[in-house]
Amino acid sequence: MMIVRIFLWVALAPLLPGLINKVKAWVAGRRGPPVLQLYYDLIRLWQKGVVLSTLASPAFVVAPAVAWVALACAAFLVPLGPAGAGLSFRGDVLLMVYLLALARFCTAWAAMETGSAFGGMGAAREVSYAVLSEAALFAAMLSLAVQTGSVSLVAMLSPTPGAGTLLLAAGLFIVLLAENCHVPFDDPNTHLELTMIHEAMALDHSGPPLAVILHGASMKLLLFAVLLTAAVLPLGSLSPLAAAGALAGGVLLVTIGVGLAESFLARFAFRHVPLLLTMGILLCLFSLLVAWKGGAA
Amino acid sequence: MSGALVFSALCLLAAMGTSAGSARASFAFTMAGTLVGLLAALGVLLGPDDWEWTGAFLVGGERMHLRLDGVGAIFLVPVCVIGAAGAAYARAYWPDSDFPGAAARGRAWWNALILCMGLVLTISNGLHFLIAWEAFALCGYFLITLDNRRPEVRKAGWLYLASSHAGTLALMAFFTLLAAHTGTWELGPVRDVPPALFWLALFGFGMKAGFFPCHIWLPSAHANAPSHVSAVMSGVAIKMGVYGIVRFGGWLPVPAEAGQVVIGLGAASAVLGIAFAMAQNDLKRLLAYCSVENIGVILIGLGAAQMARTHGNAAWGQLAIAGALLHVWNHALFKSLLFFGAGSVLHATGTREMSRLGGLGRAMPWTAGLFALGAAAVCGLPPLNGFVGEWLIYLGLFDAATTRAGFAWAVLPAAILLASAGALALAAFIKAGGMIFLGAARTKPAAQAHECGAGMLAPMGVLAAACAVIGLAPGLVWPAIARAAGSWNPAWAHAEKSPFATLGPAQAALAALAAAAGFLLWKKSRANGLRRGLTWDCGYRSPAPRMQYTSGSFAGIVAGWFFRTFGSERKFRRPHGPFPEGSILLERIPETVLERWVEPAGAAITRLSHAALSLQHGRLQAYILYLVVGLAAVGALVFLEGKP
Repeated sequence: MMIVRIFLWVALAPLLPGLINKVKAWVAGRRGPPVLQLYYDLIRLWQKGVVLSTLASPAFVVAPAVAWVALACAAFLVPLGPAGAGLSFRGDVLLMVYLLALARFCTAWAAMETGSAFGGMGAAREVSYAVLSEAALFAAMLSLAVQTGSVSLVAMLSPTPGAGTLLLAAGLFIVLLAENCHVPFDDPNTHLELTMIHEAMALDHSGPPLAVILHGASMKLLLFAVLLTAAVLPLGSLSPLAAAGALAGGVLLVTIGVGLAESFLARFAFRHVPLLLTMGILLCLFSLLVAWKGGAA
Repeated sequence: MSGALVFSALCLLAAMGTSAGSARASFAFTMAGTLVGLLAALGVLLGPDDWEWTGAFLVGGERMHLRLDGVGAIFLVPVCVIGAAGAAYARAYWPDSDFPGAAARGRAWWNALILCMGLVLTISNGLHFLIAWEAFALCGYFLITLDNRRPEVRKAGWLYLASSHAGTLALMAFFTLLAAHTGTWELGPVRDVPPALFWLALFGFGMKAGFFPCHIWLPSAHANAPSHVSAVMSGVAIKMGVYGIVRFGGWLPVPAEAGQVVIGLGAASAVLGIAFAMAQNDLKRLLAYCSVENIGVILIGLGAAQMARTHGNAAWGQLAIAGALLHVWNHALFKSLLFFGAGSVLHATGTREMSRLGGLGRAMPWTAGLFALGAAAVCGLPPLNGFVGEWLIYLGLFDAATTRAGFAWAVLPAAILLASAGALALAAFIKAGGMIFLGAARTKPAAQAHECGAGMLAPMGVLAAACAVIGLAPGLVWPAIARAAGSWNPAWAHAEKSPFATLGPAQAALAALAAAAGFLLWKKSRANGLRRGLTWDCGYRSPAPRMQYTSGSFAGIVAGWFFRTFGSERKFRRPHGPFPEGSILLERIPETVLERWVEPAGAAITRLSHAALSLQHGRLQAYILYLVVGLAAVGALVFLEGKP
């Protein structure tokens, strides 16, 4: 069971960026890269050598590995519908959020290693905007906790849909876009380093560490997609098969949504990014208020 | 137990006595005293009974009465640990050869400080408490001003002394009123006193604890003191203020809204403290402001516990107070570690300004590694100790939220603000670590830095190991924390079983997996071929150190959000023309509370006093006139009062 779960997270995660690219290509009328492109890239990168900046220490290589482990452990805590979570205990939701922070710490630390202006730029943006997205994420988790009366992810993520569900979904979607560096916060495709967040941090990475970073990023996207789907759909009240189907469908829908957002929105100027994130916080806060006032009933 | 504590006190006295004669003997006495003190504190924490001792003699007309219960003991542990670690660090960092005279004075005041803090934690008589408190504050003053040749040190010491006495003034009023209401100076749980007394204690102890906005003395004092003193001041001394708030929050009948107020103060301290920290360029100032944040974290836990206690001793209150008390330990450990790291950086380069450092990690790999561990711990990242403490506090807050009780609304903003403060702390410490240890050296002293000796690394290693142990095996400390929580509120004396049953192994597994993955990836990269090259940096041929992000630019986004809150001063002239000249961008983050509130108020009082001084001019005729007018006024009052 455990092996199946790990396989699901590790093997399926790189599918999402491929799907997003396919949606973008489809909207733009192009054929686009194959859905499995990221798999090819990962295999290729895994076999390549590494160029290490003269300024960097071994931590530059080790940090992406720690970040990947943190993301994988966070994913392990997230319940997959009827299959439950790999590990569940009271307060695991807090561990999950802080594991994401650990991954951020490692990526940003590695970005600062090379003394590149772009590394510093990306790291500064990532850690600053994370202040807002973490507040939104916490408000969302609090609202789920209040709604379900539990502080363990398995129980929190099988809520009965309440009045706040739509607000929560919108707020979490904004957090998803911000945390995974998608338009309108960041443009994963750009080659203009000045406008990037996440990619600017990974500029100096190469070979296996870069593969690990890319795979970790796709796993994080899958994690947020699962979180969003499970927070909205009443998976607990469906039969196991239907719940699994609903979860997969939901994740697919979220992925397509990200692709559409990437296609139809322009990247925001950086001074507008905090405003959109604040809107995410407000949406999650309102859903929290609805839950607090008993909207779930 | 009595023997151990007396032995510990005698050792510290002996260490003071030998401080000028033999550095080695003094150090040995300090170690013996702190070690035995630590064992005694652990004995109380792990045993069922409190320690109590009543002297046969009187001091100041009052019988000497000492007591060490769970709450006192939990605070005594960091006093002893940091007392020992700091003394060891000072041997290498502040040796007699470099600081003749000052080093010996430093040892004497160091031991006096530890002794006084021990007394503060054990004394159970209001009058004696005030005496010990004042002695403790004075020891702190003499330690901060050890390097008294520098004017900024004297200024910082003066500010510390003044704020400390503002707090002591409130405490004098507090203890006197308490004694007046209970009829005795003896301290203990009381019932029939006005709850409003709690506010006096909150302010008095708060000036020492340094929560926002009572933190005015903290940044300059911690930045200008020698680093081992900064460590003990930041890691332990400000906790004495927390001790006071915890202690009297437990003993006094508190006002109904005390919990909400404490939570609010805590949340404000957490967010504003770390936002100010983010904006600093001076490493030790950053660490000092981060202490304001951590005091805020502790207060959030304490406030929630206070709330639970006021409303029927709900079980989540126990988690919150346990988290707050554990955070007292954790903060002492990692903040001292970080201040030691800052001391080593200062020792190696001669500057605390992050914009003049960079790339030290290659010359000082051990210091960099230990600093990084401390930074991860202070950000509350798993699998280290900072996360364990914050996890308990969060769990208390989340549990409170799930009850949907009307009075518990305050936990919702507190939890969200705590999360933002955690993310800001991460930003601040990525900035600190990145600016100091990573990238290329920005100045010559930074390029010529050298690793500090084993004498400085060893105490840091011990503290780092303690951080890791509490993180990986939190179950070990739970009995002690639960005992203290039960001592604070007897209703929680029968502790629930350790909440770390799953978290502890999960953290250990995380650490093992991370280490394994890092090792494997490094091996894989080596196997694939590892080539050294210039930093890519968009293809520039020779990236220069000045092209790196600076401390100011890293903090720019966050400093922009808090621009108005900080009251930042900004001077900006855009470049013009094809050969731009004279363009400038200066930004200064002031000590907002001190410069915008306290100093203007002080200046107003001084002006008022000067105005009053013009009445005093030495002209006899005018004085006689004052007398006549005064007498007439008194007469008029008497005359009017006489006729109903």
